Amino acid sequence: MIEDDDRIRMSLGLALEDEGYTVRAVATAEEGMASQRQEPADTVLVDLMLPGIDGFECIRQLRRDGDVPIIVVSARDDTHDVVAALEAGADDYVIKPVAVKELSARLRALRRRARPVAVAPQIMVFNGLEIRPQAGEVLLHGNQLSLTRTEFRLLCELAEHAGLVLSRQQLLERVWEYDYGDERLVDVHIGRLRQKIEDNSATPQRLLTVRGLGYKLQR
Amino acid sequence: MKRPGLRARVTAGFAIGALVVSAAVALLSYQLTERFLLQERERSAVRATYLEAGIVRAGLSTDHPDIAAVLRALDTGGKRRAVLFRDGRWYGRNADFGTKSTIPLDLQDMVNGGQPGAQRIRIDTGPAIVVGVPLDASTVFYVVDSMQELNRSLQVLAIIITLVAAATTAGGAALGWYAARYVVRPMSYVVSAADNISAGDFTARLDPGTEPDLARLATSFNKMVDQLSARMQRDRRFAADVSHELRSPLQTLSAAASVLLRQKDHMSGRAAAAAVLVSEEAERFQDLVTDLLELSRSDQPAEPEPTDIAELARGVCRTQKISEGIVTVRPGTDVIWMIDRRRFQQILANLIENARHHGGGATAIDIGQRDESWLLDVDDEGPGVSPLDRAIIFDRFVRGRTASARGDNDGAGLGLAIVHQHVTAHAGTVTVTDRPGGGARFRIALPRTSQ
Repeated sequence: MIEDDDRIRMSLGLALEDEGYTVRAVATAEEGMASQRQEPADTVLVDLMLPGIDGFECIRQLRRDGDVPIIVVSARDDTHDVVAALEAGADDYVIKPVAVKELSARLRALRRRARPVAVAPQIMVFNGLEIRPQAGEVLLHGNQLSLTRTEFRLLCELAEHAGLVLSRQQLLERVWEYDYGDERLVDVHIGRLRQKIEDNSATPQRLLTVRGLGYKLQR
Repeated sequence: MKRPGLRARVTAGFAIGALVVSAAVALLSYQLTERFLLQERERSAVRATYLEAGIVRAGLSTDHPDIAAVLRALDTGGKRRAVLFRDGRWYGRNADFGTKSTIPLDLQDMVNGGQPGAQRIRIDTGPAIVVGVPLDASTVFYVVDSMQELNRSLQVLAIIITLVAAATTAGGAALGWYAARYVVRPMSYVVSAADNISAGDFTARLDPGTEPDLARLATSFNKMVDQLSARMQRDRRFAADVSHELRSPLQTLSAAASVLLRQKDHMSGRAAAAAVLVSEEAERFQDLVTDLLELSRSDQPAEPEPTDIAELARGVCRTQKISEGIVTVRPGTDVIWMIDRRRFQQILANLIENARHHGGGATAIDIGQRDESWLLDVDDEGPGVSPLDRAIIFDRFVRGRTASARGDNDGAGLGLAIVHQHVTAHAGTVTVTDRPGGGARFRIALPRTSQ
């Protein structure tokens, strides 16, 4: 947990330990990244307003190093901040004050996302895009893509229902396990996914937006 | 009594002014004309009489003249009646001998005294003038000249002048009406600007340049709106800042409370009760801050996008753990609405929560359209909302009567204020009425916009 407010770091740390997690809490992005390189954590919680390197840059660097799941825990709730943090590579975004139970649910959902997809064992191919759910691999024109777990899970959900429209709410429920969530999560992740699986993300050919309804993966 | 409006008063003022002026001018010109015409008429009557007097004098200069014949020889026409008074006897031309009785006695006295004279009189055919000319010591010649024709001319003149005066009055009234309209027209700019502002558009201003006479009003008006909007912005920013600053301590409080709550089985009864209270209040505090922040963002415009409203409503029902089956779409309704999805989810969630707390739960969400509006009704089967409460129910911190006891955890009374604000951001309206068959119906009406 990267959090510069001492009291929050302490109370949230205690509360998460109560929930059964082992928490390593640091006050700056620099410490957090060093700690992550030394001994990688399963999940990173990061605040956006940090002294020195800010949360956005921290997320970008962590993402460059690997696909560790990242949850932003921030008091900032402007669309601008939410989108910027997600575009930097965060998997989820919760706004302070967040109930410990809610944060714990988010962490569990993120962990479940890491498991292999059970429902679709076979290899799926869409117009040069090859998805191997069991192996957790995605290839575009034969080249392996590096997707985060959330991106991978999102792609698998769309692939399982290829040709059908999935609403943002449905994707939130299935990928993020939200009852009621922020649809910006879906939109930004779709955008990130497009940058990886489309030949030209400005004119998507595979992952299409259906106006007023949601998204679908072209069969 | 209600005071008449500015326009009515200006119009009446102009009409009265025009009436007074035109009546005075009419009266004056009538009298001048009348006097001039009468004098002219009198002069010509006198002149004619002198002429005739000369003829009569010549006719009488013979011995034993036939006075009646002399008088008959005069070419006096129908309007003039000549009589002669000679040696105490009256002579006339014919049967109209009665004319002599119309000659005033004082005129007779004067003329008998050797002094010619004229006097206006009234005879049976109307106004006339009688002219008396002494011919010699014992003879006086009178002509009674009827001015009936002149009188008719004056009557026609009077009618014309009256008509002109009336027309002038009407013209004055019309001018007044037009002037009042012209003067009042800039007011309509003020009215429409004020309307816009009361509808929430604080960018509405008056242009002091367009109406120089109203420049001061426009300037003051704009200043007032500037101050008002700056003040509202300050209030909003304050609420946002306060709420924001509360977030970090609240996070600590919430996390610490959850640690306490987890230990409550190992605490004494009193401490456990306190831990539960702290935890519950932290949660309520958190909801309140979230709602306050939502409200303080009201100045941000909605971000509409085409959205399947039925699908969105069903999604909200799922998250609110109520049946999706209550969502119905009236046949022929276009369900793709241009709305801000996030705000609309909040609107529906708040209405459903409101129904849960005060109306026994939402029973129907009905989606339809009428003319240029999209309509969405959320019905419940509660006691309904009294007409008194309808006016204030969308205000902040107003709670339903049933919740006034404050036993339950039903929010701070910001839910419907947020609904109202989000609907307003969509340029729509939200109203509450009685549902046919009992209960309350919250109706959202949005103007239909193209995609």
